Amino acid sequence: MGDAAVTIGTGEQVMFWILAPIAVMASLGLVFARKAVHAALGMALTMIILGVFYIAQGADFLGVIQIFVYTGAVMMLFLFVIMLIGVDASDSLIETLKGQRWAAGLLVLGLGGILVSAVGSVTYGLSDGVAQTNTSKGNVPAMAELIFGRYVWVFEVTSALLITAALGAMVLAHRERLGKGPNQREWSRRRFEKGENLAGLPVPGVYARHNAVDTPALLPDGSISELSVSRVLSAREQTRSPLADLEAEDAIRAEIESGSER
Amino acid sequence: MSALPAFEAVAVDYWAVAPMLVVVAGALLGVLVEAFAPRESRHSAQVALTVGTLVAAFGVLVWRSVNHHSVTFGGSVAVDGPALFLQGALLVMSSVAVLVMAERFGGVGGDAFTPMGASTPGSSQEAAAAKAGYATSEVFPLTLFAVFGMMIFVSANDLITMFVGLEVLSLPLYVMTGLARRRRLLSQEAALKYFLLGAFSSAFFLFGAALIYGFAGSTDLAKIQSAIAQGTTGMDGLLVPGVLLLIIGLLFKVGAVPFHMWTPDAYQGAPTPVTGFMAACTKVAAFGAILRLVYVGVEGSRWDWRLGIAAIAILTMVVGAVLSVTQTDVKRLLAYSSIAHAGFILVGVLAFSKAAVSGVMFYLVAYGFATIAAFAIISMVRQGGSEASHLSQWAGLGKRHPVVAAVFSLLLLAFAGIPLTSGFTAKFAAFAPAVTSGGTAGVLMVIVGVLASAVTAYVYVRIIVLMYFTAAPEAGEGEEVVALMPSIGTTVAITVGVLATILLGIWPGWALDLAGRAAQFML
Repeated sequence: MGDAAVTIGTGEQVMFWILAPIAVMASLGLVFARKAVHAALGMALTMIILGVFYIAQGADFLGVIQIFVYTGAVMMLFLFVIMLIGVDASDSLIETLKGQRWAAGLLVLGLGGILVSAVGSVTYGLSDGVAQTNTSKGNVPAMAELIFGRYVWVFEVTSALLITAALGAMVLAHRERLGKGPNQREWSRRRFEKGENLAGLPVPGVYARHNAVDTPALLPDGSISELSVSRVLSAREQTRSPLADLEAEDAIRAEIESGSER
Repeated sequence: MSALPAFEAVAVDYWAVAPMLVVVAGALLGVLVEAFAPRESRHSAQVALTVGTLVAAFGVLVWRSVNHHSVTFGGSVAVDGPALFLQGALLVMSSVAVLVMAERFGGVGGDAFTPMGASTPGSSQEAAAAKAGYATSEVFPLTLFAVFGMMIFVSANDLITMFVGLEVLSLPLYVMTGLARRRRLLSQEAALKYFLLGAFSSAFFLFGAALIYGFAGSTDLAKIQSAIAQGTTGMDGLLVPGVLLLIIGLLFKVGAVPFHMWTPDAYQGAPTPVTGFMAACTKVAAFGAILRLVYVGVEGSRWDWRLGIAAIAILTMVVGAVLSVTQTDVKRLLAYSSIAHAGFILVGVLAFSKAAVSGVMFYLVAYGFATIAAFAIISMVRQGGSEASHLSQWAGLGKRHPVVAAVFSLLLLAFAGIPLTSGFTAKFAAFAPAVTSGGTAGVLMVIVGVLASAVTAYVYVRIIVLMYFTAAPEAGEGEEVVALMPSIGTTVAITVGVLATILLGIWPGWALDLAGRAAQFML
């Protein structure tokens, strides 16, 4: 760093030493977080900090794009996907191969050690960052010249990649409807033929302090009606017990009873 | 911002890249056919379009591109002898592979592919889709995209081009792996495994590219070469790790040990014609990229990392050969055999001579044609409607289907490297440069290679004995192992594979000569 340190201002150094540890911690969080949402947020944080570093080094365009595209668009799409799949989906931590984790950890340490010792022994020459490009051509025009000049072939070829991705997603995930689905009339006829729930399924519970689709209704005998909440919510264990609402009622009733006895 | 210099577009030699443009145009047309053609005519339209595109691209390549050796697009694409030879080989092999994919066995769509990829395996919806005459004819444009990526890969003269080519060729293959009609859960698992490990290997490649960029200040192979020749002081720590990570990323694709974990599963799970395509064409593309990277880009530093790659080659040959002995599934067996073959080819790569380039290219062609034909035959052998891929099911096949068994035996003998087949000349072409210019390590690798060949020969001969000299177990009505009658397309594909195997075995001169003349890299 010797020579290069001369050109780094105090402000940039302070910024680096504050943000770099946060970025490292966030990226470690990405690896070790149990929940997918936490991992995604860790990644977003790392990307934002990287964007800040780019801007600090004079690559304004790249930094802004990093934050806009990666953090703003890609990571948010990622979060949407996680939420659609289910926030609670977390990794199974059962080892199928015995001792795999230890062996993998050992190999990671070995590879990391080799890379750090090799790359760490490098002495870098004085770098002018992107200052020269910024003053002679400007950051954005220089980048455009690369994208539409030397790398125009690669740039066009990435469209093949996008088309493949769209086609692959359609092939693997798009289910065409085969035949016609039953309409409302048909559903109600089926219901009557079966003779079950003729008036439709019971609605979720409506209580004085709480009414939402995740709270099942109570049957006349005081038991919970499983039919009144969506199967998906029950499967995800995202339903709420209505019994908590009843406790207050029970307390009031008990008070009234004890009061009338007095 | 005053008076910016006017933007100068790069010079493009369109004839040099015309074959690639034809292939990608065909792929885009295929997507449109998928969108607009009526369902009944889609399969035939796609097959005609795909084969037509590949043949047209090959025609353009032979007609014009061979006279347009050039480094174009500002140095990011190099269309030179090896690139054109491998692109031509890719086009011919993939058109043969597409003929196998198009096999219907009397059904509506391709027999190997599920009627609807999105339906749950074994569900009523899957059955309804099959009944309604649905077919996954999207595999044909996907194949064209994969071929396009492979063609970019073998002509990439810049690490960024190489990476994009790698992704363009891999992504369609991941999707196609998961589309088998039978044993769909196995197929989907294979696709996921292939995808995850493929993404993992891309990360290695990118990490290596970043380190090399740090070393050379450019991703251009020519600039990397000159940076290595000049020898920048103090930066050497970036070079060797970078080169090794790049090569590891590429070795993932050829399935070299210890980066072979995905190979048996992906080969077994993928629809059999796709396995043939993957085994033949991905190997050509990946070895084409490895050749260009180590011969053009980082050749100057080879003494620093050559022994490491030699160790990988030896490990690949040994593990591939030994594990193929224990396999009981024909597709897995050929997967391990392909791992062993990757090791044999690596021996040739590490010889570092012009003869080695031509030997490796010849090996790739010989192996590719035999592999596509072998997997085409595996897709024909059935028991009770599903593929009879277990070895025990092949017992006594020689008695009932002498032609099928004879053809498969010939291909197995070619894999083993028996004289008078293409396998022998190919091994000779790849091993000879290793002995002459590979030094002690080269000789050692060749010795290991010959021993490993002997082990694999035992495996192949065992299958031949099983087919001819073991009685088939008693089977009830409709439960016999049969070889289905192939359509014209598959017959042509198998015939081409067999002819190539025999022709390259007894009269290899012209092909070796062609590969030799095409073995000069350009910068």
